[in-house]
Amino acid sequence: MKNMKWLVLSVFVATFFIVSCGQKEEAKVEEKKEAAEAMVYKLGMCLAITGPTSDAGDPMSKGAKDYFRYVNDMKLLGEDKLECDIRDDQYKTENTKRNFEDFLDQGIVFYLNYSTDSTQSLKKDIEEEKIPTTPASYHAGNLVDADYIFLPIASYSAQAIGLAEYIVKNHTGGTPKVAMYVHSSAFGRAPVADVKKAVAAGLDMEIVVVVEHGKDLDNTAMLKRLSKKGVQYIICQTTQSPVATMLKDASRLGLVAKTFGEKGKITFTGCHYTGGNDLVALAGPAAENFYWTTSFNITSEPGVWTDAQLAIAKQYGRNEKTAKSHNYSGGIMMAQVATEVILRAKARGKKITREALYDELLAMNGVNAFYPVVTVGPVTYSKTDKAGVDTLQLYAVKNGEFKSVGKPFIPEYTGKIK
Amino acid sequence: MSTNRWLATGNYFTSYKDEQRIFITHLDRTFFSIFISLLFIWPLLFKLSNKYMLVIDNILIAIVAIIGLNIVTGFAGLISIGHAAFMGVGAYTVASFARTLGDSHVIITHAWPLLILLSGLTGAVFGAIVGLPAMRLKHLYLAMATLSFQMIFTWTINFLEFFNQGQTIAISNVFWFTGKLGRKDHYFFWYYVLLVVVILSGFMVRNLLRTRYGRCLGAVRDNDRAADAMGIHPGLTKVYAFGLAGFFAGIAGALHAYVYRGVGFESFTLHHSITYLAMAIVGGLGTLHGSFWGPIAIMTLELQMESFAEYAGRILPSDWNLATALKPLSFGLVIVLFLMFEPRGIANWWRIARSYTKLWPFRY
Repeated sequence: MKNMKWLVLSVFVATFFIVSCGQKEEAKVEEKKEAAEAMVYKLGMCLAITGPTSDAGDPMSKGAKDYFRYVNDMKLLGEDKLECDIRDDQYKTENTKRNFEDFLDQGIVFYLNYSTDSTQSLKKDIEEEKIPTTPASYHAGNLVDADYIFLPIASYSAQAIGLAEYIVKNHTGGTPKVAMYVHSSAFGRAPVADVKKAVAAGLDMEIVVVVEHGKDLDNTAMLKRLSKKGVQYIICQTTQSPVATMLKDASRLGLVAKTFGEKGKITFTGCHYTGGNDLVALAGPAAENFYWTTSFNITSEPGVWTDAQLAIAKQYGRNEKTAKSHNYSGGIMMAQVATEVILRAKARGKKITREALYDELLAMNGVNAFYPVVTVGPVTYSKTDKAGVDTLQLYAVKNGEFKSVGKPFIPEYTGKIK
Repeated sequence: MSTNRWLATGNYFTSYKDEQRIFITHLDRTFFSIFISLLFIWPLLFKLSNKYMLVIDNILIAIVAIIGLNIVTGFAGLISIGHAAFMGVGAYTVASFARTLGDSHVIITHAWPLLILLSGLTGAVFGAIVGLPAMRLKHLYLAMATLSFQMIFTWTINFLEFFNQGQTIAISNVFWFTGKLGRKDHYFFWYYVLLVVVILSGFMVRNLLRTRYGRCLGAVRDNDRAADAMGIHPGLTKVYAFGLAGFFAGIAGALHAYVYRGVGFESFTLHHSITYLAMAIVGGLGTLHGSFWGPIAIMTLELQMESFAEYAGRILPSDWNLATALKPLSFGLVIVLFLMFEPRGIANWWRIARSYTKLWPFRY
């Protein structure tokens, strides 16, 4: 009887032990399953949300933030989540560097940067860390000696050459006289040399002068000087604010061409960061007939991109100004590219690492090109092509809104001067 | 001299030489040695992330620069608002080598201690040249002269192709006895280099102040005519002061170039010059340890404000753009408050704390 008691007790203890171990194992398996099912992919973004150029950086940060939230809310990556730490560097390279180091410590797999200076300053670190990076600076120089930097859209050089080509094609009466009005920084000077190369390569245009602007509040003297020199077109590579000041002065002086290339007047054109709704808001009626090129679709024209962008902005409570900003589109687009490469790597069953995302970026061409709704063309990358959207669209301000002029195009001379 | 060299509570100096001792008591020396040892040991015990190592490195760079600024502004009483430009001279000396020989040339990667020293000397030459107007100018007029150097520096770097028009000029990783320095150990390694430079700079200035020239600085600051009457050449003393300030700024600039692995114009603007001046004021003008307190206080404040602004930005409507206002506001407020209530800076708090512990348990 005593043995029987012991036997029953032993069986009970053994059963309890096995069951509890089994439960633990089950729990472990369940945890592992969950872990395997729900991964968190860390990304980092550093840009000027405050301080200089924050008029572009702030909506951009909101665009990226909203899109990453949208991806998580809509479960575009299944149970997996994207965690993008978005930091403000106040347009100071030292802050960018510090944030970048912090992101690396956190184990990010993709990095989104902002300014030209900080991108160039981080270039060596990016290359050594082998971390795929997309900057909001479209400076072609970012790609020199860099394998892991990918421009989201056509470079400033391509944009300025695109404008120059349009001027040459649509100008009547001899060689057009052009001035370049650029920001006194790497960002501003970026396309000057390439436009000159395009001219040397046969683009029939005369660059009369390159003006590096300061913080002038009045451009009367400069505009009169340019007019006296016979300048018919100005290609601007700067931010909206100085362009708005110049347009107001030109308008006051009666120098703005009412039609493209109007004789005796100046036709003003500009690259990506010169235009958009902010320019119209700053320059008012003086912005009329300003020609602007970018690779983005804009919200002042109906289309699926406008609906999509406004829907996301509405979903996350953004005001109208932000929702319609092309910089908001820029932020969305950068986030889209990062999400897309993660999606593709996942679809191939790859572990999400920097190297896997880098490979996916390089494979993003041909039939694998990526079509974000917010751009006028597909995003393509390869070992030799690190500029995403090669296509540009020309817009002009008509009745206080930017409207498309012609079809999207790819500048010819960007290839010729390589 | 006190009979107890460990706890001398009182003034027992019997000669000037006695008074000029670096360490008054053995206890001072012991504490200082322990403190320095801890500074060398702690990174080995507590591994900090790269982010914080970079912050600490940055503080140490600023300390070297402020030691220089304190010589000219604190000890010699000459206002300089072009200190960042002197730093820039040092940084661009390294960058010039990188542009001419390539950023991975052996001079940059192997002979970096010499290059840092050379940058210091270049800074000293520029400092002395800019200091020449100090022979004739004082106060606001001198401030304008130093400001003009900042402007000239800005223009030169921004427009000359040789300096890449202000864009970043890359500097390669350096070699140490163990081989080429990897990214992982980069900030860790430079922490030790910076620490050695800071300690050497501190001792150099401390010793300088014990020399005839050191006393000349104070004399010229207090009354240059009286100093002249005493046989001191006020003009040359001021030029030396600028030269020395330029030397330390040049060293700091070269260190900045190596730590950040690149030289860009953005790090040496007028804004930086003003910030360095603020660091010297908050730390305590005319005191050596003020040069340490200032950068620590201002940089920590900046970091805290940044975190606070980020936190506030999450709560408050983004249209308020609080962070834009918060940093300059706090920065300005700190300077105004210090000028109003503690013009002698944090160094004075340190002096009070020290004298209290020195006299303990007696209050007076």
